[in-house]
Amino acid sequence: MISNNLKLAFRNLRKQKGFAIINILGLSVGIASVLLIFRMVQFELGFNKNFKQHDRIVRVCTQEKGLDGQESFTRGVPIPAMSEIKNTITQFAATSRIKENWPTVLVPNPNGGAPLKKFNTEEGEIALFAEPEFLTIFDFAWMAGNQDNILKEPNTLVLSQKMAEKCFGGWQNAVGQTLLIDNEPMMVQGVIANASPQCDFPINLLISYQTLISNPDKYDYRDDWGSTSSNDQIFALLNNPAQFQEANVAVEKVGKKQYVDESGGQSSYKGHLLQPLSEMHYDDRFGTFATHVISKSRLWVLSSIGLLILLMACFNFINLSTAQALRRSKEVGVRKTLGGSHSALFGQFMSETAMIVGFSVLLGTCLAWLGLPLLERISEVPTDLPFLNQPVLWIFIPALALVVTLLSGFYPALVLAGFNPIKALKNDLFNQASSGNGLRKGLVVMQFLIAQALIVGTIITLGQLDYLRNMDMGFRKELVYTFNMAGDSIAQSRMSGFKQRLLQIPGVESVSFSSDQPSSGSTWMTNFAVGRGTDYQRFNTTIKYGDADFLQTYGMKMVAGRWLEPSDTVKEYVVNETMVKKLGIANPEEILQQELRMGSGKWRKIVGVIQDFHAHSAHHELEPMTLSSNLERFYVTGVKIKPQNIKATTEAIQKVHDETFAEQVFDASFFDEQIADFYLDENRFSDTCKGFGAIAIFISCLGLLGLATHAAQRRTKEIGIRKVLGAGVSGITMLLAKDFLKLVLIAIVIASPLAYYLMDKWLQDFSYRIDIQWWMFVLAGFAAILIAFLTVSIQSVKAALANPIKSLKSE
Amino acid sequence: MIELKNIERYYPTGAVKTYVLRYINAHIAEGEFVSIMGPSGSGKSTLLHILGMLDEPTDGEYWFLGEGVHKFNERRRTEMYREYIGFVFQAYHLIDDLTVYENLETPLMYKKVPSGERKSRIADILDRFNMVAKKDLFPNQLSGGQQQLVGIARALIGRPKLILADEPTGNLQSPQAKEIMEIFRTLNKEDGVTIIQVTHSEENARYGNRILHLKDGRVENEELIKNGASS
Repeated sequence: MISNNLKLAFRNLRKQKGFAIINILGLSVGIASVLLIFRMVQFELGFNKNFKQHDRIVRVCTQEKGLDGQESFTRGVPIPAMSEIKNTITQFAATSRIKENWPTVLVPNPNGGAPLKKFNTEEGEIALFAEPEFLTIFDFAWMAGNQDNILKEPNTLVLSQKMAEKCFGGWQNAVGQTLLIDNEPMMVQGVIANASPQCDFPINLLISYQTLISNPDKYDYRDDWGSTSSNDQIFALLNNPAQFQEANVAVEKVGKKQYVDESGGQSSYKGHLLQPLSEMHYDDRFGTFATHVISKSRLWVLSSIGLLILLMACFNFINLSTAQALRRSKEVGVRKTLGGSHSALFGQFMSETAMIVGFSVLLGTCLAWLGLPLLERISEVPTDLPFLNQPVLWIFIPALALVVTLLSGFYPALVLAGFNPIKALKNDLFNQASSGNGLRKGLVVMQFLIAQALIVGTIITLGQLDYLRNMDMGFRKELVYTFNMAGDSIAQSRMSGFKQRLLQIPGVESVSFSSDQPSSGSTWMTNFAVGRGTDYQRFNTTIKYGDADFLQTYGMKMVAGRWLEPSDTVKEYVVNETMVKKLGIANPEEILQQELRMGSGKWRKIVGVIQDFHAHSAHHELEPMTLSSNLERFYVTGVKIKPQNIKATTEAIQKVHDETFAEQVFDASFFDEQIADFYLDENRFSDTCKGFGAIAIFISCLGLLGLATHAAQRRTKEIGIRKVLGAGVSGITMLLAKDFLKLVLIAIVIASPLAYYLMDKWLQDFSYRIDIQWWMFVLAGFAAILIAFLTVSIQSVKAALANPIKSLKSE
Repeated sequence: MIELKNIERYYPTGAVKTYVLRYINAHIAEGEFVSIMGPSGSGKSTLLHILGMLDEPTDGEYWFLGEGVHKFNERRRTEMYREYIGFVFQAYHLIDDLTVYENLETPLMYKKVPSGERKSRIADILDRFNMVAKKDLFPNQLSGGQQQLVGIARALIGRPKLILADEPTGNLQSPQAKEIMEIFRTLNKEDGVTIIQVTHSEENARYGNRILHLKDGRVENEELIKNGASS
């Protein structure tokens, strides 16, 4: 029976090629989308599961609440608090303090002279100072070296396999060798396996924490309750996962007294909380080291999009099958009189569906495979991650096929198998078949609703991205070439000579040293006071250090006073407009000559007010800022270059850099590209909307094409009569198109408020954003109507042009 | 075999009932060959549908082989089609997507006849109807008469006790019609199959042993035929 059913199904497919193609295309595109989204979601959900004790690992984080009610979260913990946690929390079986680090690594030449190799920490990698317990908590596989007494002495380290190969050409001979880490010699004790791509610990170096403790000045290791750096963290292993709450309560108590003293009553709350390792990849309040964070809600959105697209494809199938039911009615009637039971017929139609779904799964899997490179544009899934040879897919794909078969086939099979045989034989099923009309219309509306929402989403995300690209950030980002420098004393001593040499390059206009770019990912904040003898302000200020050429190089403007004079130490301050406003001073001139103090620093005069510029991406509000000049805090060089001969200029810059700082790696980029990188995630989201919006439209149109074809066939006679009565082609086209356009219109009306709500929520994430305009909905609506109309017209025009004699004779 | 008691079939049209059948009483014994005649709209087809359990009477009782059809559910009706009843239609109603062979095989499959027996039964019937060479053709590759032969073969292959034929020769030329009617007579006489046919043709009606004349939903009169048809 089954083989017979499949044979029949196959013949039926061949006979109804057009509809079969529509169904298979729609379903396979839907299935491909689901497979790709499944790959993304599965990839993201699999993070950090590779550690054996993953359910016992936690990170202690910090939460702070300012007097203005602003909550802030950081993964950093003050250094003395870490010691206290290490010593007092009984629920922890092991703890390891760590410090994030991005050193320059040199492979020294044993015979002296220039180093053999040098590199910076690559994008997506991290070096950690860590205690021996780190390797107890995280079970990285050992490749080489004696596991005892690892990371106990200062200036010892462990390499990842990849790093060992990079440094020494092979991991086997790495142990016992010496590397210069930021010019500090360190001995390689062991080699660990590379971290899995689904792991938030892409470690290239593990340096003993003792190194840090024995050289506190170099590494800024300060026993200060008041200073929290996100680089200083502590991981712990719970005795057992059930003790999470208990341990959470215990860490909350750490530092209670000290924080009140240190903040000078500035924050209403500061305390610690535990973050389980299982949350680390999904909680952007705390972030990860070098890998990305993806919120669970984003994963939900993605999964829903996948599910919706699959549903849309199933809707097409349901619509076409029920619309086509009339054609099959005679067969149903005959089969029933031959003794075919309801269930036998149901089985027959389900196997037809199963066959179509089977083809679609094959094609969809191929499409997904072809689409793998596209995933890179919308997600972090590495392209070299296996696709089909993942056992989970061997279960997922058949399960998907089963679900799609049931979703698509169940209702049509029920309708067809339920036909009354006499009516079926008399072809008198108009009432029965048209009863599915409401359902079909409903499904078409749903499809266009989804498509419409995605089009609106695309328009709004594109608008916002365009706004971000063109937003006036308060500085010039074009043609500024920037790169990092070591902050050590040797480098500092060469800076002024370096600047002079750069300025001699013909294409260079100006050169500035600063703590970071005007807008960057890093934040540096402190408490401060204005006016000698006054108390600290209730809000903090962002700090930036820049030299005398900072203003000119990045093209910022002063609103009052003057910019900083050349100085190697903090001598005077410039503040921004927001600071003036927040201090309640109406006229910027009034703040000039007042004295300001940062933290417990010295009182210095404010000499100027700078026009506001954005220190962060558009997600952040403008913040009060204080700027000063301080040679010890210069880590970034910015070079403003002329638009001519850019390549020659940048090459010349690199040459000067390499000659001046032989032990540093030159990794420069243009400032505007760095700014664009702020919005990688937004670009991805926009591409996601675009891609899946296009797929949604495609599937909806396939369905519409099928339904229009069916409608034209069903109304052949009516069209013939109307033509004989004098109707023109355009009139008949409209007659057929009208019904469908009505549905699309309804979809637009329902989708618009929905899309408004969702996109408004997305935009709330930006402090600077576009307003949602009515024309965006009109534009999206027009696009949908136009596409739908064109689709329907293909069929309608064909029907309208047909010779009426033929259609009338067919009765 | 068949007992109809006060069968009525009507449709409510607004406040009035439109009667298709009224007070039909009939008894048809096993081995009979009954023709139903009457003008268009007299209720012939409805009566045949009721006999074939495709339609249900609004009122009255229908007993088939001693069982009350009015008590049957869909599953029991399906069993009846599998075991006892074969249909022959005016428009043949072969399944277009199936070959002659497959059309013949379908009822056997529903009856769950094992594959070996299916083959032999189909071979027998193809032989009997001289259609062996046509077994792999599709219905649209056959003439009307040939299609109706397949239709009858399909009705017979399940070895039914009763064949219901709705104007079986209505779409055929007279030589072919005659051939079909001869087959019916042979089936009735030699195989003892009960046949009920609806027909417009007096000539065809006379192949049977009894004619029910219907008019306006009532049996107007019953005519007994001696020796069957004119030959």
